[in-house]
Amino acid sequence: MRTKRKTIAFTAIAASTALIVSGCSGGGGGGEGGGGETPETLTVATWVDIPPELLEQFTEETGIKVEVNSFADGASAQTVLRNGLASNGAGLSDLHLVELDWWTEMMALPEDWVTLPAVEDRWVDWKVTQGSVGDEIKGYGMDIGPLAIAYDSTLMEAAGLPSDPEGFTEFIGGEDATWESFLDAGRQFTEASDAAWIDSTSTAIQAAINQLPAAFEDPDSGDAVALADNDDVKDLFTMFGEAAEEGVSAGVGIGHADWGAGFQARRWATVITPAWATGIIAENAAGLEGWRIADAFPDGGGNWGGSFFAVPAAGAHTDAAVELADFLTSPEAAVSMFLLNGQFPSQLEAMQDPAVAETANEFFGGQETGAIYAGLAESAGDKAAGGFRGVNFAGIQTLVMDGIRRIESGSEDAAAAWTSSVAEFDALGLTD
Amino acid sequence: MTSQTAVTRRLGFSRNLSRWDIKISPYLYISPFFLSFAIFGLFPILFNIWVAMHDWDRRLGQGDFVGFDNFTWVLNQPAFWTSLQNTFSIFVLSLIPQLILALLIAAILDQNLRTKTFWRMGVLVPFVVMPVASAMIFSQVFGQFGLVTPLMHELGWFSDVDSPFFHNRLLSHVAIATMIIFRWTGYNALIFLAAMQTVPRDMYEAATIDGAGRARQFFSITIPSIRPTMIFVVLTMTIGGLQVFDEARVFDGTGSGGTGQGGADNQWLTTVLYLFNLGFGDWQDRIGQAAAVAWLFAAVIIFFTLLNFFLTRAISTNTSKPTRASRLAAKRLSEKGQGR
Repeated sequence: MRTKRKTIAFTAIAASTALIVSGCSGGGGGGEGGGGETPETLTVATWVDIPPELLEQFTEETGIKVEVNSFADGASAQTVLRNGLASNGAGLSDLHLVELDWWTEMMALPEDWVTLPAVEDRWVDWKVTQGSVGDEIKGYGMDIGPLAIAYDSTLMEAAGLPSDPEGFTEFIGGEDATWESFLDAGRQFTEASDAAWIDSTSTAIQAAINQLPAAFEDPDSGDAVALADNDDVKDLFTMFGEAAEEGVSAGVGIGHADWGAGFQARRWATVITPAWATGIIAENAAGLEGWRIADAFPDGGGNWGGSFFAVPAAGAHTDAAVELADFLTSPEAAVSMFLLNGQFPSQLEAMQDPAVAETANEFFGGQETGAIYAGLAESAGDKAAGGFRGVNFAGIQTLVMDGIRRIESGSEDAAAAWTSSVAEFDALGLTD
Repeated sequence: MTSQTAVTRRLGFSRNLSRWDIKISPYLYISPFFLSFAIFGLFPILFNIWVAMHDWDRRLGQGDFVGFDNFTWVLNQPAFWTSLQNTFSIFVLSLIPQLILALLIAAILDQNLRTKTFWRMGVLVPFVVMPVASAMIFSQVFGQFGLVTPLMHELGWFSDVDSPFFHNRLLSHVAIATMIIFRWTGYNALIFLAAMQTVPRDMYEAATIDGAGRARQFFSITIPSIRPTMIFVVLTMTIGGLQVFDEARVFDGTGSGGTGQGGADNQWLTTVLYLFNLGFGDWQDRIGQAAAVAWLFAAVIIFFTLLNFFLTRAISTNTSKPTRASRLAAKRLSEKGQGR
């Protein structure tokens, strides 16, 4: 008994000492990882489900087991990656999925990431440009986020408005739809229905901001443009703000605690839906009939998000991780991910694959969503590459979206909300 | 000759050893705490001063030395002052009901109940639930489609807004305070209970003989007797309550695009959440400013802890009259005992 207790005590002390020591030294060896020899297992950090048979296939081909560190959402994966990079690679996986919205942030130090060998003709050109820093490819594209609008045909029908996809597309302006025509359609809808037109105008303005070539910062210098003088953004703000004032929006955006319940209560008729959001909507609106995807998007469409697989340079098995990144972004892998989660492939070959174009989506009433998104991506063209994003992009965007939210909740009108967003921006002192 | 020196030497050595043992081992025994405190407590605190004086990027690390610029920057942010107001509002809304409830629950548990342990463990259940988990459940309760809001709308309260708890500043504070009360009341009740059990039972017997009711006994014997515990609980509540973060962070969801940041109008932005948003949110180069917030807020907490310390002491000293009465009662009891 006695010796046992002693052993336990000793083990405890040894363990805690080891913890302290390893905690202190964890950062040191980070930089010069590398590693030629084949590891037994590789770790992948992702918030997207990877088809298990894909991982099994990789294990069969290479003999390397793949362990998935799965996160509930992109935001948590972002936090872990951010902290890991800041502590010289401690706690990072061998391979990380990185979302376009925080790509710039993670590439602050390009040396943090392994430069990947070029793979010819696999992706659309702009996806490769997005995933590169200078000439160096830092991420292999997984999916892109062509923008579409999902709508609830049941609510449309109840309001006596066109509910089939063609009719709805015409209703919001058809091929030449603009945000103005989309919001006007919304005004018409809210007059005829108790529900709101859109879940949140703050999401819509985020999509519209994604369409601007340089939303908040000067692409040459990277400096922030004074918000008060930013006419493009102010115009968008006024347009969406006034619509919000008129009750077009339910004021509950994606990620909000009420979002899922709002779907179930049928509180809104439309949601801005990049391809990767189709799966998320199907989950939140589970059990509801009548959601469809429209075949047009205001202002010619665009792209929102999409992710890359990137290899942290601090990893111990970077060679094998690059191999895995290559494997997971192959056209075949992209097709199976599309079938599982609805992410639209960034790989040219996968886009044309009949499994993507011709698979009927059960939740969206059997629509061939792959074909719809392919069409939208094509009509968006190079615009889909998105605009310039500097270090302050995310922060300023939140200020603007908060302004729209204040209008939605009724605490300020559009003009006052713009004034206070500008005041908050000025207090930051970014343009002094 | 040689062997003799060796012996003395060895003697000397072991004597030295035992002297060192007496002199050094006490320090060795207590050193683990100080070492780990130095690494995980003291060093970050001191390093934070260094960070607060510099431009600091999340990834690129240390930038230029800027002196007190970060502090003036923070003091010029309206959001900082809003966050302080919110923090105090939530603190006051949670502290007072919590104290009253905890005292009441402790007083009830202090009675001769059946299945004592069951009830005592029961009050601790909310404390075992992860704060984020309970906050997520509560945000469903207070959400637009939750338990409370539809009821309020039916009664005609706040019917002009869809989601009053995510809109109205005071209501959001009430909602967050509710989560804190839910979580911490049982914990504090157990601390009070422990203190109450040390109050000598004969004081209650004497009071009962003198004709004091339950309520009178509670206010005149129990409360004054647990004064040190009251002070302790109020101080820890002040420090913990001012640092409210989890509940505010997950209150309206943690999705991308601005939720989880304290509300569009900063309605429930607490100071620690503000610090988090600066250092670990949308901005990449504001770690220095976040460190400055930490220092400014530390000063505020110290100030209010001291204030509360003196206030609680003063209040408990004022109630020393009944203490004297009860002491008299106890004295009388003991005299009676002697007389017998």
